[in-house]
Amino acid sequence: MESKANNTCDNCIHFNVGELKKLGIKTANFDFVVALAGNPNTGKSTVFNALTGLRQHTGNWPGKTVTRAEGAFEYQQQKFKLIDLPGTYSLLSTSNDEEVARNFILFGKPTVTVIVVDASRLERNLNLVLQILEITSSAVLCLNLMDEAGRNNIKIDTRTLSKDLGIPVIPTVARSQNGIPELIQTISELANGKIKCKRYNIKNIPNNIEKSVQVLSEEIEKEYPNISNSRWIAFRLLEGDTQIIEALENGEIA
Amino acid sequence: MEKLRKMNRKRINRIISLSEELRWKIGDDFHDNLTESIYADASKIVEDSVTYTNKKSRFRLDVNIDKIVTSKIWGFPIMLFILGVVLWLTIIGANYPSGLLSELLLDITHPILKNFGESVGLPWWLNGFLFDGVYLAVAWVIAVMLPPMAIFFPLFTLLEDFGYLPRVAFNMDTMFKKSGAHGKQALTMTMGFGCNAAGVIATRIIDSPRERLIAIITNNFSLCNGRWPTQILLATIFIGAVVPESYSSFVSLSAVIGIAVLGIFFMFFFSWALSKTMLKGEVSTFNLELPPYRRPVFWKTIYTSLIDRTLIVLWRAIVFAAPAGAVIWLISNIDVGNESIASWIIHALDGFGFLLGLNGVILLAYIVAIPANEIVIPTILMLTIMVTGISGGEGAGVMFELDSFNAMGDILKEGGWTLLTAVNVMLFSLLHNPCSTTIYTIYKETRSVKWTVVASVLPVIVGLIVTFLVAQIWRILL
Amino acid sequence: MIYNPITALLVFLAGSLLCFFVFRPKNGIYTLLKNSYQQKGKTILEDVLKFLYHNQEASNSITTNDLTNSLNFSSTLIIDSINKMMESELIFLEKDTYKLTAKGNEYALQIIRAHRLWEKYLSEKTGFHKEEWHERAEKKEHELDTSEINKLAILLGNPKFDPHGDPIPTNSGRIAKKAGIPLSSFEVNCIGKIIHIEDEPKIIYNQILAENIHIYSTIRVIENNKKRVVFHSEGEVFVLPPIVAGNITISVLENSNVNEDNIARLSSLKLNETASIIGLSKECRGENRRRLLDLGFVKNSKVQIDLLNPLGEPKAYLIKGTTIALRKEQASKILIKNNGKQGE
Repeated sequence: MESKANNTCDNCIHFNVGELKKLGIKTANFDFVVALAGNPNTGKSTVFNALTGLRQHTGNWPGKTVTRAEGAFEYQQQKFKLIDLPGTYSLLSTSNDEEVARNFILFGKPTVTVIVVDASRLERNLNLVLQILEITSSAVLCLNLMDEAGRNNIKIDTRTLSKDLGIPVIPTVARSQNGIPELIQTISELANGKIKCKRYNIKNIPNNIEKSVQVLSEEIEKEYPNISNSRWIAFRLLEGDTQIIEALENGEIA
Repeated sequence: MEKLRKMNRKRINRIISLSEELRWKIGDDFHDNLTESIYADASKIVEDSVTYTNKKSRFRLDVNIDKIVTSKIWGFPIMLFILGVVLWLTIIGANYPSGLLSELLLDITHPILKNFGESVGLPWWLNGFLFDGVYLAVAWVIAVMLPPMAIFFPLFTLLEDFGYLPRVAFNMDTMFKKSGAHGKQALTMTMGFGCNAAGVIATRIIDSPRERLIAIITNNFSLCNGRWPTQILLATIFIGAVVPESYSSFVSLSAVIGIAVLGIFFMFFFSWALSKTMLKGEVSTFNLELPPYRRPVFWKTIYTSLIDRTLIVLWRAIVFAAPAGAVIWLISNIDVGNESIASWIIHALDGFGFLLGLNGVILLAYIVAIPANEIVIPTILMLTIMVTGISGGEGAGVMFELDSFNAMGDILKEGGWTLLTAVNVMLFSLLHNPCSTTIYTIYKETRSVKWTVVASVLPVIVGLIVTFLVAQIWRILL
Repeated sequence: MIYNPITALLVFLAGSLLCFFVFRPKNGIYTLLKNSYQQKGKTILEDVLKFLYHNQEASNSITTNDLTNSLNFSSTLIIDSINKMMESELIFLEKDTYKLTAKGNEYALQIIRAHRLWEKYLSEKTGFHKEEWHERAEKKEHELDTSEINKLAILLGNPKFDPHGDPIPTNSGRIAKKAGIPLSSFEVNCIGKIIHIEDEPKIIYNQILAENIHIYSTIRVIENNKKRVVFHSEGEVFVLPPIVAGNITISVLENSNVNEDNIARLSSLKLNETASIIGLSKECRGENRRRLLDLGFVKNSKVQIDLLNPLGEPKAYLIKGTTIALRKEQASKILIKNNGKQGE
């Protein structure tokens, strides 16, 4: 931390280019794991490439990255391993992509999850965002494609959004590297515990279901006091997710 | 430890039985309710923080482009025009670099390597095995395959990045739906005209299990660029020669296009048949998002599509072609009794080959050339010379082609080829098992031995039946 | 043998015909052989139990003749089976008619549970067409044992109803009573909800399927006489012969604040009209339903047509800022309230 204070002004969050090393696919010996999640076609892979210096192909097509891609970067002498998860609309269904994404966020326990959203389609993207926030609150919202939102005359108040969601919000245009420095800075601060996130719980759930969720999640917390996302596990149990049941049996969750 | 596990079990069972009880109480609307609540939260959040200064729901330019490319009058002509331009650029544009590469790799480098081998004192068999067998097969695949792929894939990728391809899927969906397939199969099929392995990988864009399997299994009916040269060669030598010279290029071109169209017909037919039989139990969904148009980042797209698609597919093809070259050289140079293994096999296959309107040489060439369709013609030429004993060629196990189509035609005719043989080779080239790169890719994508076997065996059976029927009917009528 | 193209063709044709007769799915020699090896006894016994159960529910008395006439097995096999069942006290004879014992009743319920759970499974987790569910379940019900049935129930979340609206018995043998009245005797202008569509006989069921009538949809009858039954549902008009309408069960909705007239299917939306989504029809199941929900087709979302297709289908809809193309059969399972022409 001291070296940082010497290098730059104390408070400004300006990014120090000299401290970023794009490590491509050299993913050994990392300090933190960062997951990259988001809807299809939000420029998630572009963000991935901008962070790692890799050139994974990104098509203007929903659902191009099916397998998990990995990359890495180094910032302020700390190494971050980046996992590009398949783009999905949701984490609640049974498709293969969703399973990969869901399992990684839940079992892989990334230090930070970067959620990439299309700024001009925020509402639809929030479906996935809110689901991820039930699993982990250590997340940052990457508000990508801000240029398209601008062209469509959409203005977003990032401070209010950040307050509502309880996580930092960084507007970016990944194609032209706009906002990427700030994003890296925020990832680093989150990983080092300099920013604290607030837990977000889905609110508008009908009463009878909310009650069941509460009963179940309280039971889960009683048995596994260390679990932070008991509500999400309750959701999955109520959906009859056999993988979660298996994971509980193998002790993978607790 | 054991005790701990038992305790764990007990706690879990309690939670699970509680969850089952609650599930029964809530009923089966849980998923609906949860999704609705999430969207209700989302719209509340958006209300707080997003303002629209203009009420227009979609970007003007996008709407206008969409109106044109999906219009009743312009939709299909634009699509055909773009496809035509892409294929034309690929075939014409690849000619020159292909010639250059084959001169460099085959005419110049190959003799240098052989001489080098001799000068360092390699025994003749090792020299032949390495440079006539392995090297030649690999060089051939690179020379034929690389240029068209290096043109086709970047063009396709540019269209993809711009956002036009989903519109094609949108326009074509009705036609594919009738055969139980997904509109996006139009694109994976087109991709197959470049390379079937790449076409199979491209089926990832289809997120419905049944339709994706259909697209994978039927992709081989798209004539890939390893097979186009075979078609063009045979059509020019044999079919073009039947009609007066002024029509010959038109007729041979029509024959090649006819074969490609026949492939599309088979693709539709088997898509339909699979969806009604083997695959009817697979889950089938449909969703097609039409993303906004985006200006492609030109050079980056070219670069990534070269790396991602062209080089990876080429690499796999080379890995599979090398052993094929080795096998071809070995069977032509190892003698059992007084004949080479290749001759034995050819004689054994001749009868069956005749039944199909083909011959033993052709069948053997297709068996050893499973790894790469590009080396079928050179192998056939080499084997024909070996069996007939006519002069020419480069020696046993050394694949070759000649600069003039006529000279190659003469060799084939010497080997007993007739118009029927040429027609049936053209058909069999369309309807046979996928190359080993594609088979391997199918396995990687489906993770299922069953579907890999189906995708590999189905076209071969079709090919055998079709060539058999054509041969018999031809012989009865003519 | 001397080669001759005509002989070759004939040999080939003979070979293909042989293959056809051996492997064709219905009545092929291979299938027949496979079936004859399976334990027929269990199937007959269970079919008899089921038959008796259903008729007992409908208060019909069943004689030996009824059984031999209605079941698709030879009479000797059936009579054999009846005797065995009497011995093992699954059924008993009362004035020439057969009745189920308590034990027989329990057994019958297990079979029905297996059948309905399997239908539910097929509807939720596979892509088989509706038409096939019943036939497949007819086979599968004899193959599942109790522990498999219970596993299936847990996998499906202990569903209460099968996709046709029939109640599924619990593993302790409890079963909800059927309520409602047949559509054919429903009064004009009453509002009700379709709660059951009978899947037997197949001819009538297929007729109902062809009409695209959706289970759990709200209906209002506007004409009911000996010739035809006409009713409104989800903004469409349906006309059925009374015999077909008799296989649809309706529960009366007393509460007349259900305004059925405002509901329509998304497939009926026209260019430049806007609508808000009311919900998804229960006919939209499994992965398809989840997909549509994930894409934002949820209650209160605004929707409009964004693009028409040069071939008519699929149409692209603008929903939550994104253009999504849907096929007609999907759009017909999304219920909307049409808000009319868009004000510029």
